[in-house]
Amino acid sequence: MGKLYAVEIVYRGIFQKKLATNISRAIVLAAHLDGKPGISFGRYGDSPERNGIPAKNFAIVATDEQTLQEGMAKYEPKEVDITISVDDTLCKGVESWAWYGLQPINKLTKPGGTLIVTSMEPAEKLIEMAHNRETPYNLAIVKGSRSFSGLWVYKDDHTDVRVLGAIAKVMPELVSLDAMKKTILQEWKDPVKVASAEKSYNRVTKALVQPGQGNPETPYQFELPKWHEMGEGVAIPCIPVGKTVEDPVTHVLGGIRPDRNPTFKKFSTRTMRPVVNFETCIKCTLCWLQCPDTCFDVTPEGLYDANMEACCGCGVCEAVCPVDKCVTMVAETEFADNGSQWETWRKDSTGYLQWLNQKIESRPERSHGFRFKGQYQEQVGEMLQIAQES
Amino acid sequence: MATIVQIDPTQQLDPFKSVKKIPTHEFFTSGHRTCQGCESALVMKMMVKAAGPRTIVLGSTGCMYVANTTYYSTSWVVPWMHTQLGSSGSAALGAAAGLKAQMRKGKMKQEPINVIAFCGDGGGADMGLGAISATMTHPDYNLLILLYDNESYANTDIQLSGSTPWGANTTFSTPGSVKRIMHHRWKKNMAGLMAVGHPTCRYVATICMSYGLHGMNSIRKALTIGGPTFIHSLDPCPKGWDYDPIQSHELGELAVQCGIWPLYEVEDGKLRLTGRTQQIADGKIPRKPVRDYLLRQGRFAHFTNDDLDYFQSKIDQMWTKWLIPGVIPFEKDLAADNPPA
Amino acid sequence: MATLAPAVEEKKGGERTALITGSEAIAVACQLADVDVITAYPIRPYDTVMQYIAKLVSNGEMDCEYIVAEGEHSQFEIVKHASAVGARVFCGSSGVGWMYAMEALTVTPALRIPMVCMVGNRALDDPGAFGTEHNDALAVRDLGWMLTWVDSGQEALDSTLIAYRVAEDRRIFLPCAISCDGAFLTHSQSLLQIPSQEQVNEFLPRYNRADLLLHPDNPITVAPQANEDWVMEIRRQNYAAMERTYGVIKEAFADFERIFGRSYGNPFFEEYMTDDADVVLMGMGTLSTPVKVAIRQMRKAGKKVGFVRLRWFRPFAAEELAQCLSRFQAVGVIDRDYSFGSPHSGGVVAGEVRNALYPGAGKKPPVLGFICGLGGREVTIPDVEKITESVYQAAEGKRQPLTQWIGLRE
Ligand SMILES: Cc1ncc(C[n+]2csc(CCOP(=O)(O)OP(=O)(O)O)c2C)c(N)n1
Ligand code: SF4
Ligand code: SF4
Ligand code: SF4
Ligand SMILES: [Mg+2]
Repeated sequence: MGKLYAVEIVYRGIFQKKLATNISRAIVLAAHLDGKPGISFGRYGDSPERNGIPAKNFAIVATDEQTLQEGMAKYEPKEVDITISVDDTLCKGVESWAWYGLQPINKLTKPGGTLIVTSMEPAEKLIEMAHNRETPYNLAIVKGSRSFSGLWVYKDDHTDVRVLGAIAKVMPELVSLDAMKKTILQEWKDPVKVASAEKSYNRVTKALVQPGQGNPETPYQFELPKWHEMGEGVAIPCIPVGKTVEDPVTHVLGGIRPDRNPTFKKFSTRTMRPVVNFETCIKCTLCWLQCPDTCFDVTPEGLYDANMEACCGCGVCEAVCPVDKCVTMVAETEFADNGSQWETWRKDSTGYLQWLNQKIESRPERSHGFRFKGQYQEQVGEMLQIAQES
Repeated sequence: MATIVQIDPTQQLDPFKSVKKIPTHEFFTSGHRTCQGCESALVMKMMVKAAGPRTIVLGSTGCMYVANTTYYSTSWVVPWMHTQLGSSGSAALGAAAGLKAQMRKGKMKQEPINVIAFCGDGGGADMGLGAISATMTHPDYNLLILLYDNESYANTDIQLSGSTPWGANTTFSTPGSVKRIMHHRWKKNMAGLMAVGHPTCRYVATICMSYGLHGMNSIRKALTIGGPTFIHSLDPCPKGWDYDPIQSHELGELAVQCGIWPLYEVEDGKLRLTGRTQQIADGKIPRKPVRDYLLRQGRFAHFTNDDLDYFQSKIDQMWTKWLIPGVIPFEKDLAADNPPA
Repeated sequence: MATLAPAVEEKKGGERTALITGSEAIAVACQLADVDVITAYPIRPYDTVMQYIAKLVSNGEMDCEYIVAEGEHSQFEIVKHASAVGARVFCGSSGVGWMYAMEALTVTPALRIPMVCMVGNRALDDPGAFGTEHNDALAVRDLGWMLTWVDSGQEALDSTLIAYRVAEDRRIFLPCAISCDGAFLTHSQSLLQIPSQEQVNEFLPRYNRADLLLHPDNPITVAPQANEDWVMEIRRQNYAAMERTYGVIKEAFADFERIFGRSYGNPFFEEYMTDDADVVLMGMGTLSTPVKVAIRQMRKAGKKVGFVRLRWFRPFAAEELAQCLSRFQAVGVIDRDYSFGSPHSGGVVAGEVRNALYPGAGKKPPVLGFICGLGGREVTIPDVEKITESVYQAAEGKRQPLTQWIGLRE
C-alpha cells in the first residue's frame, strides 16, 4: 500500500465557505501535478451551512488510486496530517452543526501532525486556546486577520493562497511548492497570488506543542442512546421554561434564566462576544428582545446578562443598544471562559469596569462579511499589506 | 336556529403596552442552529412570546425546521410539530379541528388554545399556497398562519422562490457573463392576495420583527380575533442576502423605510397602514431610496445603476400608482414595464 | 341510533340488519366509532363513503368536524395533525388521489399516527379509468401502513372497527388503510349486520394519544430534523411496532368474535375449500366471488381446487402462509396489479408469496403469477378455469410461464 495524506480545513460556515473550497481544491489539483490522485469534499452533515457555525472540508491525497480508495471508504478521515483552522477562534473547539458536543480543534491531527492557523495572535495564546492532548503536534501560523465574506461576494485577500504556500512548507511530500505555484497560476491566473503563496511558504513559523500544553478542560460530550431507549413517534420533550435568577451577593431571587437546549450550545460559532456595561444600561430591553438566540438572562434588578454558552456573536445586541459603549462586541480571543458578566460585576463592580474598559479598548476590528458595496476592495489592501510584512 | 359558523372563544391577548411590559418568559429558547443574526429565528421567539404558553406550534420544513430542531435537541418550550413543506395551512386546520371536536364532545378540557402554523416563503407562498388559501376560507377554526419570508428557499442553500426580489443572486439565479439578471420575476404580493381573495379571513397583517413590539401585537391581535388569520413577516437573512449579521435589525428597518415592505393590517376587511409605513404615507417621514437598502446586500452586488433605477421605479409605482399604495396593485392607467436590458 | 338506510330488521340489543353498500358500511363504522375529524375530497369510487358521512353529519346523526379539503395532500395532512392533538380521524382516497397525497402518506406512519382510511381501489392514470386495480394502495406497502383488503360490505364494516382498535393501540400507533375494490364493494348493496353502540364501545376504547399528545399540557417536540446518528434507530422503532401488529391483530379478532359473535377464523387470510385441495388459487379483494364460484364448478368436475384470500397484506403473515401453502402441490396467485420490471415481471402479491415461501422449512410448491382483471375488467369463470389449468400443469411438474396475463385480447 502507498501513502495516504489527509488534510482538514476547519472554517466558519458560509463566511469562509469559498475560502475553504479554494484551499481544498487547490491541494488536490497541486498533488495531481505531482502525480498523486486525490479528492476534495465538504462534510455532508455540515450542509446546509449556517453563517458562522463551524464546518469542515477535507482534501485526501494518495500516492496511488488504491490507497486513495482506502481513504475514501470512511465517511470522513479519522485522523489527518494537517488541520487548517482559517479562523483562530476555532482553536477553542468546534461544535459543528452536525454533531453533539465540542470537538477540540486538534482532535484529528495525527501525533506529530500540524495545525495551521491563520491569526494575528502569538503562538502561546493559540496553544492556550486549543485543548491539551497526550501526543505532541506542531503549530504553524499564517499571519493575518480572519478572512470573512459571504455567499455571493468573495473577499480575495490572498488568504487562500497564503495557506496553500504554508501547506507546501509544512508537508512537501504532500505537495511541492512548485506544483502549488503552478496550480495557483492555473486557477487564478494572477502572478501576485503566486508571489503571496511563496512569501507565506518562506515565512510560515512552526512551534512544537508538547503533550499536556493547552486548555485542560474536558469538552462536553453527548452519548447516543440505543433505539429502544429513545422515545417513539420521533417525539422528544420540549425545554422547560426556566427559573428565577439569584443575585450572588444579596441572594435575592428574581428575573428569569430561560432553560436552554442542553445538547447544542452554539458558543463555538462566535468570533466576538458582547460585553455589557451594567452601570450605563438604561434597561431599554432591546438587546434582550432583539437577540435571535434568546441569550439574555433577566436579572432580579431588571438588567440583561448575555449567556456565553448560548451567544453566537451576531452583534445584533450591540447594534440595537441605544447607549454608547454599553454593549460592545469584543474579539473572542480575548476571553478564556464563558462565565456570567453580571455575576462578576455584582461581586466586584470596580474590578469589572476595569476589565470591561480594557476589553473594549483592545477590541480588534471586526468584519463579518458584506456591509456595503466596495468594502472588500478597501479591506483587501490592508490584508495584502500584512501578507507583505509578515 | 343553530348558527352556521360556530366559533370557539379565543384567548384575550391585549396588546403589550410598551417594550417594558413584555413578559420575560421565553417559549422558544437558545440552542437552535440558525445563522448568526437570523431574523427568522427572532420571529419564532417573538411569535411564541406574543402567543404565550397555551399554544401549539406547527412548523413547515425550511430553516425554521431544519435549523431549529435537530433530533434529540430542540429549542421549543411550547409543543411543536413538524409539518410538510406545503402543509402549513392543513396543519393549522387539522390541529384546530382536532381540538375543537374533542372539546365539543367532552373528550378534552374546554380551553382556548392558540394554534399557529408557520411556513417560509417557499413553503407558504409557493408550494403551500393552495392549502393556506383553503384554510383561510374555513370560518370555523381559530388559527394563525405566519409566513416568515426570508425571500428564498433558504434552507436548501438559497434558491429563488416566488418571493425573491427582482434580480437577486441565488443559487438558481447566479449572474453570469451573458445574463446579469437571471431572476426577472417580481415578488409575489402574498399578504395582499390573502386579504383580497379571502373574505372569511379575519385578519391579515404584514410585519417585520425589527419593529418587534408592532409585530408581536399583530400576532396577539390575530390570535384574539380568531377565525382564520394570516401574518406575513419579512425577515432579513444574513446568509442568503449576504450581509454582516450585525446589520440584521437595521436591514429590516430599511426594508420598511425604503417602502419595499409596507406594513399594514386588514381587520375584518378594514385596511390600515401601520407603523413607519403609515408615517411615510402621511408624509411624516421620507421614503428612503431603495439603493440604501439594496447596496448593503451582497445578493444585489451585481446591480448596475440601471438595475437600481428600475427597482426604484417599481417601488415608486407601487406607492404612487397603485389603487391602494403598497397593498393592492390595481392601477387606473396601464403603465409599460421596461426592465433594463 | 338513527338509521342510514332502511333497516330491514331490528335485533335485540340494538343490533340490526341493513341493505347498504360497502362504502355505507364504512360510514356506519365511523359513526359507531365516534370519529372526531373527517376530511373529504372527491374521487371515484371511494368518495361515496364521504357522501354518506356528509348525510350523517347534516342529519345530526354524527358529531364530527367534516372538512372538505382542497386536495388529497391537504386531506391527509389535516387528519394527520388532528390525530396528533388526540382526535380520532378518518380519511380516504382512490387511485391518483391517493398518489397525490403520497407525501402525507409517507410521514403518517413515521409519526406514529393511527389514521384509519378507506382506499377505493382504482386504476392509476394515465389513462384516466375508474375500474379496480390495487396499485394505488400497494404504493405505500413499504412505509409502515397496515393494509387490509376486504371482500364484502360486512367485512368492510367489521374491518373498520378492527382497524381503529389495532391502529390506536399504544403498542402500534400505525395507520391502517382498508382497501375496497371499486364498484364491486363501493357501489353495490348487500345485507349487513350492524352492531350496537354498546358492543362497539366494549370493543373499541377511546383513542388515547398519551405520551405523544401534542398539547400544552404535554410539551413535546415532534419530528425534529434527524441526521445519520438517529434515523436508523427511528426506523428500527417502527419496525418493532409493525412486528407487534401480528399479535395485536390476533387479539383484536379474538375480542371481535367474543363481543360481536362473528368469526373470521384466521385473521390474516381466509381459506376456502382447501382441506382436501391439490392446488390453490390466491388473491385479494372481491375477485374472491368469481373464484369461489369457479372453484365450486371445477370441483363438480373433480378438480380439487381451493382458494386462499389474503386479508392482511401488511403485516404479511409469511410464516403462517408458508405453512398453509406447503400443503398444496402448486399455487396460482391472481394479481389485480402490476409491477413492471420486477422479478419475473409478475404482480406484487405473487412476488410476496414467493418471498414468503423461500426461506421456509416446509415443502415449497411452485408459484405461478397471473395478472388479471386490471382496470376493473371482469374476472370471469373461464379466466379462473384457465388459471387453474396452468396451475395443475405446474403441479404435475410441467414448465409453465411464471407470469401470465389472463383475460387479455391476444
Ligand atoms: C416536498 C418537498 N420538496 C422539497 C423539499 C426540500 N426543501 C426543504 S427546506 C426547503 C426550503 C423551503 O423554503 P422556505 O419555505 O422559504 O423556508 P426557508 O428554508 O427559506 O426558511 C426545501 C425546498 C422538501 N422538504 N419537501
Ligand atoms: S451577540 Fe448579542 S444578539 Fe447576538 S447572539 Fe450574542 S447576545 Fe444575542
Ligand atoms: S440595549 Fe443596552 S441599554 Fe438597552 S437594556 Fe440592553 S444593555 Fe441596556
Ligand atoms: S439561511 Fe437565513 S433564514 Fe436560514 S438560518 Fe440562515 S439566516 Fe436564518
Ligand atoms: Mg424562505
